[in-house]
Amino acid sequence: MNEVSDIVLFFGRFHPLLVHLPIGFLFFAFLLEVISKWKKNPSLTTAIPLALLLGALSALGSCILGYMLSLSGDYDESAVDIHFWFGIATTVVAFVAWLIRIEKLNIPNTNTVKANISTLTLIVVLLSVTGHYGGNLTHGSDYLVKYLPFGKEPKKELPAISKIEDAGVYDYLVDPILQNKCTSCHNPSKKKGGLSFVDSTAILAGGKNGDALIPGNSSKSEMIKRVLLDPHHDDFMPPEGKTPLTEEEVAILMYWIDNANADFSSQIKGIETPENITKIASNFLEIPIEGEKGTTKLPTVNPINEETLIAIKKEGFQIRELVFESNIYEVVLPPKTITAKNSNELDKKLALLTGIKENILWFYAENNSINDSHLKLISEFVNLQKLNINSNPITDNGIAAFENHAFLNSVNLYGTKVTKKSLVSFTKMKNLQNVYAWKTAIKNDDITSTFKGNENAPKISLGL
Amino acid sequence: MCNNHEHSKLTSNNRDLQEIEKQIDRRHFLKKTSLGLGAMALGSLLGSENLMANLGDKNVQEAVLNNYNKNRLGLPHHLPKAKRIIYLFQSGGPSQMDLFDYKPKLVDMFGKELPESVIGGQRLTGMSGSQSTLPVAPSSFNFKQYGESRAWVSDAMPYLSEVVDDLCFVKGMQTDQINHTPAISFMQTGHQLPGRPSIGSWLSYGLGSDNENLPTFITLISKNGKGQPLTASLWGNGFLPTEHQGVQFRSGKDPVLYLSDPENYDGNDRRHMLDYLGHLNEIQNDAYGDPEIQARMAQYEMAFKMQTSVPEVADLSDEPEHIFDLYGKDSRDPGTYAANCLMARKLLEKGVKFIQLYHQGWDQHIGCPGGVKNQSKNTDQANAALIKDLKQRGMLDDTLVIWGGEFGRTVYSQGQLTEDNYGRDHHPKAFTMWMAGAGVKPGFTYGETDDFSYNVVKDPVHVHDFHATLLHLFGVDHERLTFKHQGRRYRLTDVHGNVVKDLLT
Repeated sequence: MNEVSDIVLFFGRFHPLLVHLPIGFLFFAFLLEVISKWKKNPSLTTAIPLALLLGALSALGSCILGYMLSLSGDYDESAVDIHFWFGIATTVVAFVAWLIRIEKLNIPNTNTVKANISTLTLIVVLLSVTGHYGGNLTHGSDYLVKYLPFGKEPKKELPAISKIEDAGVYDYLVDPILQNKCTSCHNPSKKKGGLSFVDSTAILAGGKNGDALIPGNSSKSEMIKRVLLDPHHDDFMPPEGKTPLTEEEVAILMYWIDNANADFSSQIKGIETPENITKIASNFLEIPIEGEKGTTKLPTVNPINEETLIAIKKEGFQIRELVFESNIYEVVLPPKTITAKNSNELDKKLALLTGIKENILWFYAENNSINDSHLKLISEFVNLQKLNINSNPITDNGIAAFENHAFLNSVNLYGTKVTKKSLVSFTKMKNLQNVYAWKTAIKNDDITSTFKGNENAPKISLGL
Repeated sequence: MCNNHEHSKLTSNNRDLQEIEKQIDRRHFLKKTSLGLGAMALGSLLGSENLMANLGDKNVQEAVLNNYNKNRLGLPHHLPKAKRIIYLFQSGGPSQMDLFDYKPKLVDMFGKELPESVIGGQRLTGMSGSQSTLPVAPSSFNFKQYGESRAWVSDAMPYLSEVVDDLCFVKGMQTDQINHTPAISFMQTGHQLPGRPSIGSWLSYGLGSDNENLPTFITLISKNGKGQPLTASLWGNGFLPTEHQGVQFRSGKDPVLYLSDPENYDGNDRRHMLDYLGHLNEIQNDAYGDPEIQARMAQYEMAFKMQTSVPEVADLSDEPEHIFDLYGKDSRDPGTYAANCLMARKLLEKGVKFIQLYHQGWDQHIGCPGGVKNQSKNTDQANAALIKDLKQRGMLDDTLVIWGGEFGRTVYSQGQLTEDNYGRDHHPKAFTMWMAGAGVKPGFTYGETDDFSYNVVKDPVHVHDFHATLLHLFGVDHERLTFKHQGRRYRLTDVHGNVVKDLLT
């Protein structure tokens, strides 16, 4: 394609601005016609010729600017064609309508009233069609009906996977990023820079400036170069005003180009995958890394109402939301809130917490006369990740209640009566990572003899 | 007693002041009416069930308002890893290549001129910049690798070498400042000039307190510190509300003076006295609306609570012998670094969020080998003990420990270089810090310097990045914790900073 001079493109870009004038003028002419008939107010009709003339002239201007814009080659040709011819048709009909209106043009065998109404109706239809195709060019053909509440085609779902290794690099990681951040401008109907990212063929076809990527060499690949530029650089992608790619997303794209040679069918397991990529993939796919503990995803739970929070605080608990508006809380019973004097109150206090048992992520209750029966209640905190219950009269039976707890990650048990029997319980908590067991009956020898290289065993800190 | 007095408003009998009061009234009228309308609009937006239905119950109403105020910052932004932090500030600028940044190749370079290509046109200080020669001074300390992580530590820090598998060394630290006062200020507040809020103040402002009986942010300074002075602006609140400033404990037997009742006073009516004082202050607050009045009221209350809470924490007599032995013999001497570390652990246990320790004297312009050895002797055992002690109590899980100074030191000798003696000048372009605990990778070394420990060649971490990472560990997005002051919004990291994700677990 011949180079188009900048000034042409500069004016061309005013097309999306100017097109709204003919739409307004011509539609207004139509409304004047209808209302004057309906309200029987002929004085309104005097404005119609002016509205039609302005509409026709601005439509002509829009056509010219639109043609200039189309020279950029950023748009799909067949889609532009339809918009192009409908735009011209609208302009022509607008002039005809004007001529009929001012009675310079007479269509034989029809009266002027009918001719007026019919040309105006035709204009409205043409405007709608032209406008729709124009909108498709700018926003993409699925823009209008993307959020249509009914009659939606079910989206093509990728088969669910349970292991990160099974994920196809392109389908599960790369494609969602491109769909999210790139295809609103790089699609078949709005091919900015002649490039589309919708599928493998489109990506391989590249764009006006050559290949989008070079398999195995991300640093030479245009699509990577562009996203890594200084954000103020003219060629930076995505352009100003759009959400830039995150570090993680860029890392995934580079990994795909370098390690997977930009292959469209490779799976993670087939190629060399650095640890940080596995981590990013784990977050993207919301699949935990096998053998790795510590969940990254927060549970979704119901909010706690204000009265409950106040009641809990009244009982001496400190309660703090761990992430703003997440409904997930840390609950602390300050040390020595419960002593020998008021030990009967503990049951009542803990019972209050069962109402919010799903909301508690961290629970601290050191030195509060907590015993095994209380632990039974606490073990029902299904989302619990961190439990600090050191310096309490707790035994192995209490710990056994936490066997099979899905999320418990760290337990502080120093100064309790647990023994090596608890070590077996620990191995049954699949997310457990750290146990602090200073000042307990657990010995180093117990740990080696019980765990015997068990890979699921948590780290036990015994202190000095 | 004064219970029967009814003050609706305290007014002055001075005519000038009365004029001012009138003006304030007008301003207040505008402020209160506009805020009042805003609150009503908010109420309808939030759904009246929540905010309005229980208005009859004063407790609920108060709780809702408190909650609204607390949540207005929208914090934490994400799940925190750290609940508390102890920052062991080594004031003066410890020599990285005499402690952690092992540079074996320097031995062959002894006494040779430091190549201009290494200095790269950097501006030196006035203290060594005019020296006719800049001879390379290799470290006189011996280095060994320790632990499973094989971290290099010099023999100046034998105790620390036992806990390297819990530490995360950051060897590519960089700062913008080359002199003490601006550099310390930069490290503690994110800006070279005094007047910005310190890290602890930002955290106190953003996250609030975990123990109502103790300050959220406490500063401890080793006694008999020599070298560059430390000023209160380093733990100051800057433009944040005054109650967020760090509370400095004295180094010595009584961390806070005048907590005990004076002779012949039993203290029984103090509560009553404070309530009345609070009442008077409230009248004043209604009239003038100065936030400093509220801060003062909060601080009177805090002081009252500290009368019982501080003696309890400062009393180390219930610590067993073996804990004192762990921290070293200095820990029995109140006000020393070791004793401060031990007290800091107790404060952390009580729920103090931010403890800022300072130890001065790391400014070895002359006599570097002896100076580093001495400084290490005073701090090494306590550093390691703190790590061990926090770990055995399970507290390293959610406590962040940070060790570091305001900058590093030069590879070339300031003053004369001899076989066993050299001095080192300030060096901002590369230095080492270490972190441990909550959410930080244990047994990990990040960043690399060149053969001269002069330039960072891999993974630099700027002070702003360090601040961003620190806030991140507390669940705070450094770009979103802001405070509007003099027409613009400020952050700890101002317009800089990236979270160093590679340091995080």
